Amino acid sequence: MMAFAAWLHATSFSQMIQSVRWIIPLLQSIHIVMIGIVFVSSVVIALHVLGRVRADDSFQAVWGRFAPWSRTALVVMLVTGLLLVVGEPEREFSALSFWIKMGLVAIGVTGTAAFGRRYGATPADSAHPYPAPARLAAVALIVLWVAVVLLGRAIAYDVEMWGAGVLPWN
Amino acid sequence: MELMSLLQDIQASAPAEWMRTSLKAMPLVEGVHVLAAATVFGTILIVDLRLLGLRDVRRAFTRVSDEMLRLTWAAFGLAVVTGALMFAANAGTYYSNTAFRLKMLALLAAGLNMAIFQHRTLRGVAAWDTQAMPPRVARVAGLLSILFWLSVIFLARWIGFTKGYDFAVPDDAEINFQF
Repeated sequence: MMAFAAWLHATSFSQMIQSVRWIIPLLQSIHIVMIGIVFVSSVVIALHVLGRVRADDSFQAVWGRFAPWSRTALVVMLVTGLLLVVGEPEREFSALSFWIKMGLVAIGVTGTAAFGRRYGATPADSAHPYPAPARLAAVALIVLWVAVVLLGRAIAYDVEMWGAGVLPWN
Repeated sequence: MELMSLLQDIQASAPAEWMRTSLKAMPLVEGVHVLAAATVFGTILIVDLRLLGLRDVRRAFTRVSDEMLRLTWAAFGLAVVTGALMFAANAGTYYSNTAFRLKMLALLAAGLNMAIFQHRTLRGVAAWDTQAMPPRVARVAGLLSILFWLSVIFLARWIGFTKGYDFAVPDDAEINFQF
């Protein structure tokens, strides 16, 4: 894994990202702005399911307003995230936080999509109050995105968080 | 100088000491700060897009903003507390950092924009609350808000790449300063 990271680090594209001083902070800033959109979209959808926000709207209306923003922001987050990995491969691959975060992102994306498919088919007006599993899933998705953000920041402090040598390739 | 001794007092305080010495304090507090900042931006963006007449145009402006701004304030409070802890840990270096000073200015600009909107533009909200397209002065406030908050986030991230640290680094130590 670290041999791959070293190879990636040596590629000219990675060198270019590393050599320009403002590229990495700029990518990180865009990444954070996008998580703001994804996270708040999920929060609004969850609060709607819990009956706290836009209670007069149907699930389709709330989903239709926020899911496309969330989807686009996720794509930009993925692109900026990939560029950050190419720019600093050792930092990411050697961090346990990075790998847990990637796992949680995969669960979060598929979970959110499944949630939309399941409740997007509910006829308008019939959804209030939402069944307990829906409310639970909505809250679980919020907790998951919170963990993703905290782990994202923790990548810079991997040894402090988890100790040294926790990954087999370190 | 009085300010310098104040900064030293802040840096010598118990919470500042905890931030510097507890292994997990910095990553956790910074993580919560990022989460809070992202929430402030995301919720304000929803209000700003309504002000610009671009989204939620069938909902009254005040309904959109009342629901969102409660979240914004809660997140902002969390960002202030975590930000104060980060500042306290290295008060001197933050104070002298240009990106930090510019970020404070951008925050002030965002706050002023919001205050002017609240105390002037919002007084006449009854006339345009349910209109899809708010008046120009409201649209300008919405656009400025997005720009100021984006600046806050970009400048904030820039601090981490420019501020350096208050301790001497041994010559043979390999430290990646790009936190």
